Amino acid sequence: MHDPVLIAQYVLAGLVTGAIYALMAVGITFIYSIMKMINWSMGEFFMIGSYLQFFLIMGLLGSARWYLAVPVAMAAAGLLGVVIQRLLLRPMFVGMLERRDEYATIVTIALSVFFRNLAVVAFGPYQFSPPDYFRPVQLGPLPLNGSRFVAFVGSLLLLSLFYLGIKRTWFGRALQGAAQNRLGVQTAGIDLQRLDHMAFGIGVALAASAGALLAPVLLVHPENGSVATVKGFEIIVIGGLGSIPGSIVAGLLLGLVESLGTVLLSAAYRDVYGFALLIAILVLRPWGLFGERERVA
Amino acid sequence: MTVIVEDDAGTPEKGLAGFRKLATRDRVVAVIGQFHSSVMLAVQPLAEELKIPFFSTQASAAAITSRHLLYTFRTHAIDPDRARAWLDFIQRFGFKKVAIIGENTDYGVGLIEETKRLVSVQKLPIQLDTLIFDRGTTDFTPLLLKIKAGRPDLVINVGVGTPAYLIIKQAYDIGLFPAVPMLGSYDFPIRPEFWQNLGPVGNYFAFISYYHPAMPLTDLGKWFKERYEARYKEPAVYSAFNAFGQIAIIAQAINKACSTEGSALVQALETGKYLNWNGTVTFPRGEGPYWHQASPPLLILQYTAVNQSYGDATILWPPKMRTGTLKKP
Repeated sequence: MHDPVLIAQYVLAGLVTGAIYALMAVGITFIYSIMKMINWSMGEFFMIGSYLQFFLIMGLLGSARWYLAVPVAMAAAGLLGVVIQRLLLRPMFVGMLERRDEYATIVTIALSVFFRNLAVVAFGPYQFSPPDYFRPVQLGPLPLNGSRFVAFVGSLLLLSLFYLGIKRTWFGRALQGAAQNRLGVQTAGIDLQRLDHMAFGIGVALAASAGALLAPVLLVHPENGSVATVKGFEIIVIGGLGSIPGSIVAGLLLGLVESLGTVLLSAAYRDVYGFALLIAILVLRPWGLFGERERVA
Repeated sequence: MTVIVEDDAGTPEKGLAGFRKLATRDRVVAVIGQFHSSVMLAVQPLAEELKIPFFSTQASAAAITSRHLLYTFRTHAIDPDRARAWLDFIQRFGFKKVAIIGENTDYGVGLIEETKRLVSVQKLPIQLDTLIFDRGTTDFTPLLLKIKAGRPDLVINVGVGTPAYLIIKQAYDIGLFPAVPMLGSYDFPIRPEFWQNLGPVGNYFAFISYYHPAMPLTDLGKWFKERYEARYKEPAVYSAFNAFGQIAIIAQAINKACSTEGSALVQALETGKYLNWNGTVTFPRGEGPYWHQASPPLLILQYTAVNQSYGDATILWPPKMRTGTLKKP
C-alpha cells in the first residue's frame, strides 16, 4: 500500500510535468492546424530556446534577470522561424506543389538534423545549466525545484495568453478561420502567406519558451529537444491533431500516467505508459480526445 | 601515428557507421575511444568481421569482454570491479540500506545485477532497493520521492550524462541529497561542467574515480600529464590518460609484431607486457569478463567544498589512500 501523501506527491509531480509537456505540444498542433504540415524540428527550436536562454543569462542579463531572457529567447527563435518559413517552406505553399506535406516533412527533418549537429559543433556535446530561477517551493505536499515551479507557472501563463489571443483578438480569429478553411479566409481578403509566417513563428516561439523556461531543469545540451519532440507528438495524437485544448488536457494526462506508472509499476518502462495510452486512444477514439472526425466531400 | 576521429554520438547505429568508415575508408590499424557499453556491444561483431583490434576506453559492461572476442580489448573498470569497490565502501562506512537508481542500459542494468549478485553470493548484511529508469527520463521526482520514503542510508546514482546531473539536482530539491549521501558510479564530476551545472548543489557528492593526482604515474603518464596540462590549462583527466595509454599500447604492439595487420597485433597484445600511463598491463585470455582485460585502480572521492578541484577532493576509499571521512552538511 502506498502512503496517501506519497500518492498526492506523485499526482502533483505528474501534473506539473504535464503542464510543461502541454506547452511543448501546443506549438506543434498550432502550426499543424494553420499550415496543415507537421514541423518535425520543433524539438530543435526547444533546444535553441534553451541555448539562447543560457547565453543571455550567463553573458548579458545575469541570473537575476532570467525573466527578461525568456521573451528575448522566444522572440529570437520566433524570428528565426519566420525566416525559415519564408526561405524554405513558403515556396511549397505558393505554387500548386504536389505532395507538399512530404516536402515539408523532409525539410523539417533536415532542419532538425542540421540544428542538432550545429549545436554539437558550436558548443560541444556538453551539458550546461543556468542558475535556478527561484528558491525551492512547497506545492501542497510536493517539494518542488524553484525552476520547475517557474516553468509550471510560466507554462500556465503562456498557455492562457495564447488561448486568449486566439479566442479574443482579430488576428486570433483569422488564424482560427485559416485552421478551419484556408481557401475561405483567402476569399475574406486575408493574406494567407502572412498568416503562415506568423503561425510558424509563434509556434516555434512557444517551443523555444518551453526550452528557455526549462533550461535549468532539463539542462542545455544538443539532445535536450528530443524529449519535446517525442512527447509533443504523443500529446497531439492523444489530444487530437489541431486541437489546442486537446493538447493541454493530453499533456496533463500524459504527465500523470507517466508519474503514476513510474512509481506504481516500473520506472524502466516510463515511455511505454505514454505509448500504451496513445495506442488505447488510437483504438478507441482514433481522432483523439478533442479531435473531430474528418469529413470528406 | 595519425589519429582519425569519428563521433558515435552515443548511439549504436552511428557507432557502426563510424567504425565501418574508419576501417574501410581510412584503413586504421585499431580503434579506441568507446564510452557507451551499448555502442561497444553493437560494434564488436563488426570489429571481429573486419579484424580490427577494438579497445574500450570507458565502456564498462562485463558482457563486452565476457564474450571472449579475439579483437576486443579493455583498459577500463568493469561492472564486477565497480560493484566490489562500492560494496567494500558500503561495509566500511556502515551503510545498511542502500538505494540504487540506474538507467535501463547495458551499463546501468549490468551494474545493478552485478551488485545484487555479489550481495547474494557473499551474503552481505545490506538491504538493496534497486530502481531502473528509462534513459530518456527527465523528471526523476516521483522515483526520488519513492526512494526518500524508503529511508536509505546511501543512494547510488547510476545515471550517465544528463540523467546523472538531473538525479542530483532533483534529489536536492526534495531534500534527499545531501542529507542522505549519494555516490556517483563514474567520474563525471571531475569535469568543470559539474560545478557549472550544479553549483552548491553538487557539494558533498561522492563518486567513483580512476585517477587522482596522488596516484603514481609511469614515465609515459608523466610525459602525457605535462603536455596535456600545458595545452589545455586544466588538470589531466582519466579519459584522456586512458585514450593516450591505449594509443601507446597499440604503438608498442605494432613494434612487437613488426606488423599493422590485425591478427598479428592481437597475438602481440596477448603475449606481451605493455607500458601504460599508470603501470604495466597485459591482456591474457582470462576467465569470464577478465578476457583481454586490464582493470585500472578505483577510488571513491568526495567533494567537501563548492568549486573544489578533484585533486583536492577527499579520498574516501580505498583505505590505504584514504585522506578523510565522509562529510554531510
